Amino acid sequence: MNEKPRVAIFDLTSCEGCQLQIVNLEEDILNLVNVVDVVEWREGISDQSEEYDIAIIEGSVSRPEDAERVKKIRERAKILIAMGACACIGGVNKLKNPLDLHEVAKTVYGDRADAPHLHSEKVRAIDEVVKVDYKIPGCPIDNREFARVIKSLLVGAEPSLPNYPVCVECKKAGNVCRYELGEICLGPITRAGCGARCPSYGMWCFGCRGPAEDANTDAAREVMQRYGKTKEDLEQKMSLFGTH
Amino acid sequence: MSVVRLTEGALQAWVERLIAKQRVIGVQAKDDHFVYDDLKRAGDLRLDHDVTLLPPVRFLLPVSEELMTYDQKGYESVRDDEPFILLGVHPYDLVAIHQMDKVFAQGHLDPHYMERRAHSTIIACDVETPSKNCFAGEMGTATVQDGFDVLLTRIDGAYLAESGTVKGDELLKLAGEDAQAATTMDLDRRARVQELNRQALRKHHLNCSPEDLPKLLAASWDDPAWKERSEQCFSCGSCNMVCGTCYCFDVHDDVNWDLESGTRTRECDGCLLTDFAKVAGGHNFRHRMERYRHRFMRKGLYMPERFGFVACCGCGRCVSACVPNIANPVDMYNCLLENHPEFATRRETVEEAPERDPYLPESATVLKVERLTELETFYEIKLDSGRPLGHEPGQFVEVSLLGIGEAPISICSAPNDKGTFEMVIRKAGSVTEALARLKPGDKIGIRGPMGTSFPVHGAGLHKDIVLIAGGLGCPPLRSVIQYFFSHRSDFGHLTILYGMRQPSDLLFGDEMKEFEKQPGVTVLYTVDHPDESWKGTVGPVTKLLPMVQFDANTEIFVCGPPVMYRFVIADLNKMGVSNDHIWVSLERRMKCGVGKCGHCQMNGLYVCQEGPVFAYSQIQDVPEALS
Repeated sequence: MNEKPRVAIFDLTSCEGCQLQIVNLEEDILNLVNVVDVVEWREGISDQSEEYDIAIIEGSVSRPEDAERVKKIRERAKILIAMGACACIGGVNKLKNPLDLHEVAKTVYGDRADAPHLHSEKVRAIDEVVKVDYKIPGCPIDNREFARVIKSLLVGAEPSLPNYPVCVECKKAGNVCRYELGEICLGPITRAGCGARCPSYGMWCFGCRGPAEDANTDAAREVMQRYGKTKEDLEQKMSLFGTH
Repeated sequence: MSVVRLTEGALQAWVERLIAKQRVIGVQAKDDHFVYDDLKRAGDLRLDHDVTLLPPVRFLLPVSEELMTYDQKGYESVRDDEPFILLGVHPYDLVAIHQMDKVFAQGHLDPHYMERRAHSTIIACDVETPSKNCFAGEMGTATVQDGFDVLLTRIDGAYLAESGTVKGDELLKLAGEDAQAATTMDLDRRARVQELNRQALRKHHLNCSPEDLPKLLAASWDDPAWKERSEQCFSCGSCNMVCGTCYCFDVHDDVNWDLESGTRTRECDGCLLTDFAKVAGGHNFRHRMERYRHRFMRKGLYMPERFGFVACCGCGRCVSACVPNIANPVDMYNCLLENHPEFATRRETVEEAPERDPYLPESATVLKVERLTELETFYEIKLDSGRPLGHEPGQFVEVSLLGIGEAPISICSAPNDKGTFEMVIRKAGSVTEALARLKPGDKIGIRGPMGTSFPVHGAGLHKDIVLIAGGLGCPPLRSVIQYFFSHRSDFGHLTILYGMRQPSDLLFGDEMKEFEKQPGVTVLYTVDHPDESWKGTVGPVTKLLPMVQFDANTEIFVCGPPVMYRFVIADLNKMGVSNDHIWVSLERRMKCGVGKCGHCQMNGLYVCQEGPVFAYSQIQDVPEALS
């Protein structure tokens, strides 16, 4: 490769935890900047650029100006990647969507709720605003998966994500099923790729990576009874990442 | 048979000596469950475990293992030759390991598995605590007479240790004077423990004998229970991942940050997962119900047909792992028995790992690249070793690209004197997209030739040949056409029926024109969507069939998209052509090409081994063949 691809990283409504995961690549971040030219990254560098081979967006669209910004990034980017649950599926930001937005603002900001810079609208994932070429899901992302996607693009391979449920990785990790422990786990209907991180550390799956392809949510609802739970219990769990 | 008695203290001391000698992977507690893990102290060993979360075979066929590394110079096989002891293996898991020994030794020996296996020592132990879902007693795997290096059995506060191999003898020598010869009474007690286990490990009752399962399953293809139960299936593969006899795998490349070197890794895969039988281009040969059924069919019918054993050791792990509780084989088989009440009623030494690694590609160079259409590109390839590929018309190769992966591709040329071969590749997935960017001089990896070929040799009796090609089915048949011309006097008339979506899809148009001019050759075309210039036939390829004369000896070779076969064969049958004379080339996801990974299986057949070319009579009763 003669010229290094120009990569830019942007953030919208998010906790910036996914970008932190990139920083957490540690020595691999040096390998990364060896093979790409990071031309814009608020969290890492101060430069700005007009054109990107790869633009990466963390966060969801929650203000009118966000949508405009995303459209501009799209215009300048050959490849656009949505990074993290907020960008890929809206994430926890979408929790407010079914509620009265003004009430939500008052709850959060109190007296200052009407300040113009706090005005927000219903939250959208990036692909609800512009075409997204690839997604790196998760809250936060798995930085090994991030590295894999970037390396795939650099060698000209199509980046692919597992489309099967988390159970695959959970079983491979030799974990005890969270259902056996009396919990509701979203692993059977959530896209794998995280290495079943939550169940491996003693929590149920929160569904942050969005649904697996062909996720059988009907079966998930029906199976609740077998474990002494209700469909509503399940749906409450599914609402966190607004995915199912 | 040498059996010794070890007190509990002596056993502990012996295990400590084993740990000092080599890597010991023993059963240990993990919260309320048990796992195999590196044993650091004899005190951590839990021979009283009920069942482990994952089966011990995962140390012989790890969930993920590097098959090879690569750099710009080529590929290098990765082998794991560290000796280790598996300690605490229950009899049913030992049976599963011996089944895997057969699987990986049959046909193409798998050096990765075999080498690890050759370096393993298995210390089995009879079950002390039956697990809640174990049905080994039903499967005849609750106890074993052989197959272990050492077998431990707990009797009245002590352990009996029997050596089954020379390796076992060596290990037991480490017990030194602690080991006392077992008395007749000890052996009687052990026999009683084993008899009790054969009874106790029956938490689920199978209403037939395991030997009846192949017949039962063969008769149950259309049972309504498949659909009904599969509606609850998450396609999560949990049943596969915890199974001691599930060994299917997928292979992927991981590139290093230098973007030039990397690894090729295989990872456990599961036939319950959505993409398991999906081919490049998107066609999925099995949906939820078919995937659900396949697992039972494979365990109870296809594996017995191929290897001679029911591939279920009765460990019950799948029963515990399945959240909707639909994975229990005994439940399923009993349910099928309701509709078929009429069915209700050891081991070889492990072979040495071979030198050759069948997964390792050999380096080859792209000599020529020619864009044929928007999607299809033609390549001429030569192996760098200079050896001719040695293929027959209809065979395929696995084509590797460093860091991107591997894809099965048909060879579109007949064997020639130049030692080169040719392929046409359609952009349909990651590997083929990347292949489309190749230039002359670029290096690729090749494995093969693989699979069966069209019966051109058997056709040496001046038989007429009819080729029926649909779209990308043309290139594999081109190898037959070339063969036909280079052995012209062996054959009678050649007819080529070539159907395509639109005129611009025509492959090898100039060559076809040349073929047409030859005596005794007819070429007929049809398109689905004509353009203004098209003056020929419009419609499916079956429309051309009435223009052909078939006699009783005509051989018909068919290659095209899955949907084409049924219609073509139905029409041929109507015209009186027998299924022995219809040869089809089938497409499946042939990931490994050596009959191991499981992806290309249709019912009991592996397309990469028994196919891709089949006489239709071979597969007419195979339900998954043309589905």
